[in-house]
Amino acid sequence: MNAKSFFTLVKRETWEHRSLVWVPLITAALIVIAAIVSTNVSGSIRLDMELDGESSAFFGLLASDQATQAKLFSIWMGSIGLPVLFVTIIVLFFYLLDALYAERKDRSILFWKSMPVSDSATVLAKLFTSMVAIPLWVWAVSLVMGLLTFVVIAFKVSGTPIAPLGQFHFGAWFVLQLTLLQNLLLASLWYAPIAGWLLLVSVWAKRAPFLWAVLPPSLLMIFEEIIFNTAHVAQLVGYRLTHYFDAASVGFAVESDAGSQSIIDSIANTYDRMSAASLLAEPHLYSGLAAAAIFVLLAIRLRRWRDDA
Amino acid sequence: MTDAVIVAKDLRKRYGKQTVALDGSSFTVGRGRIVGLMGPNGAGKTTALKAILGLTPFEGHLDVLGRDPRRERDSLMQDVCFIADVAVLPKWLRVNDAIDYVAGVHPRFDRARADEVLARTEIRRRSKVSELSKGMITQLHLALIMAIDAKLLVLDEPTLGLDLLYRRAFYETLLNDYFDHERTILVTTHQVEEVENLLTDVLFINQGRIVLDSAIDALPSRYAQLIANGDSCEAARRLRPIYEREVFGRTAFVFEGRDASELAALGEIRTPSVADLFVAKMAGSAP
Repeated sequence: MNAKSFFTLVKRETWEHRSLVWVPLITAALIVIAAIVSTNVSGSIRLDMELDGESSAFFGLLASDQATQAKLFSIWMGSIGLPVLFVTIIVLFFYLLDALYAERKDRSILFWKSMPVSDSATVLAKLFTSMVAIPLWVWAVSLVMGLLTFVVIAFKVSGTPIAPLGQFHFGAWFVLQLTLLQNLLLASLWYAPIAGWLLLVSVWAKRAPFLWAVLPPSLLMIFEEIIFNTAHVAQLVGYRLTHYFDAASVGFAVESDAGSQSIIDSIANTYDRMSAASLLAEPHLYSGLAAAAIFVLLAIRLRRWRDDA
Repeated sequence: MTDAVIVAKDLRKRYGKQTVALDGSSFTVGRGRIVGLMGPNGAGKTTALKAILGLTPFEGHLDVLGRDPRRERDSLMQDVCFIADVAVLPKWLRVNDAIDYVAGVHPRFDRARADEVLARTEIRRRSKVSELSKGMITQLHLALIMAIDAKLLVLDEPTLGLDLLYRRAFYETLLNDYFDHERTILVTTHQVEEVENLLTDVLFINQGRIVLDSAIDALPSRYAQLIANGDSCEAARRLRPIYEREVFGRTAFVFEGRDASELAALGEIRTPSVADLFVAKMAGSAP
């Protein structure tokens, strides 16, 4: 298996699951369109910053020093790509469930297996697609979308009280893109056991892979609660699902009665700490990767020897 | 045989506790042969092919192109091609992408050759498999396979569900443009009459056992069909035919290992067709 073959396998995934490519692109396009049409007829700005009644303080902040402006710039450039990421996560979930299931259902597995492509290469290409290729695609799409949106917004805010929003901070932008890229790849590592589990269910389930992926852990939680009155499984799953956001400090924990200055400070500080690199020092990252490796090895083995096509 | 492509010894495989798919099958396939593996439904044909292709675990000794398909499947598949049956190209695949895919993963794929074979068909390059007829899907699959320089081609019911024209064209293309006496083809089919003229060897399998393994050339010296005259039926039965049936009021017997001189007095002698022999052998080996 050389690089060309592996690249072909990844391309193959995007032919079968075109939504992996199109959903991020369409979502990004919708955001750009939303930015374009978010001007009412009279041409005034309706940028909804969710800072009701605090707009004067907000404007004041905007007019303040370059460092704060750069932080604000980073906040909106950093968060504008989040919808693209969230819809892609949903698409990836169903992609992984389908990745080794559809080929058995339509018997095309016999065609794929007639090619000199090992089961390891096949399964790893699917894992790579979900953990590296599509995250990179989402990153690139978000980057371009961010720049386009910026141009639109900059054009609209010129000559208004929030004109500083239209100022491009290259240094902050560059650091932000690197941080987003790093965080995306760290998220892949953190969520690898879930990807591995979905692939394993996908190769194993005779039908209804979605139910097989979701029901057993759910039932385990319920039985544990009933029989032992404990919630270790639920905690384990919950921790795996949410801890990434703690590590990346993306939980914008803002006190509701705080003034806008402190809101922006707290968000801006959050941005400063947004790197999820601290995960690399956590043992749970590595235990998760070990679990992912076991799931993936099992998936490869099952695909190699399963004989029901 | 030094030039053997497949050597199988005592292959055994069961599904669950009840179903025995392979029950000690042994056979050899030589290089440059076109071998028909035939048997009734559930005889173990597909299981034997799956074993050869490393798609299923089994017991026994199996050597395909010098490799054990259980342990060396990945390298084996560089030299082996197979068409399982018409429905296995996925519906979403575009003709162009199918060619790109095989070109991307197969080191022995010749894209120009695939283009050339496809150009002779009505298949449009932008079409998806779901937009092609069954016959066209087979043509596409065949174009992909013919552009691969493989040593062994395995075909499992390749023309199932196709009309006569496509079936004929399929085997003609295979024979005229693919087979070169170096390559080996192993084919299973129910349509015995259609392949019998292109085979060099036949393997009959029933209930997981090989019941006939012969070159086509060797059949006339081993098997004879006798259309007995009315009175000679009893005499014919004493020579222990492996099969007898009534044809338009006359009785046809199939003999194994009887000299023509023994039979000549009893009636008209012919060489049984592969289809006749198939029926005779299946009836003869039934429990």
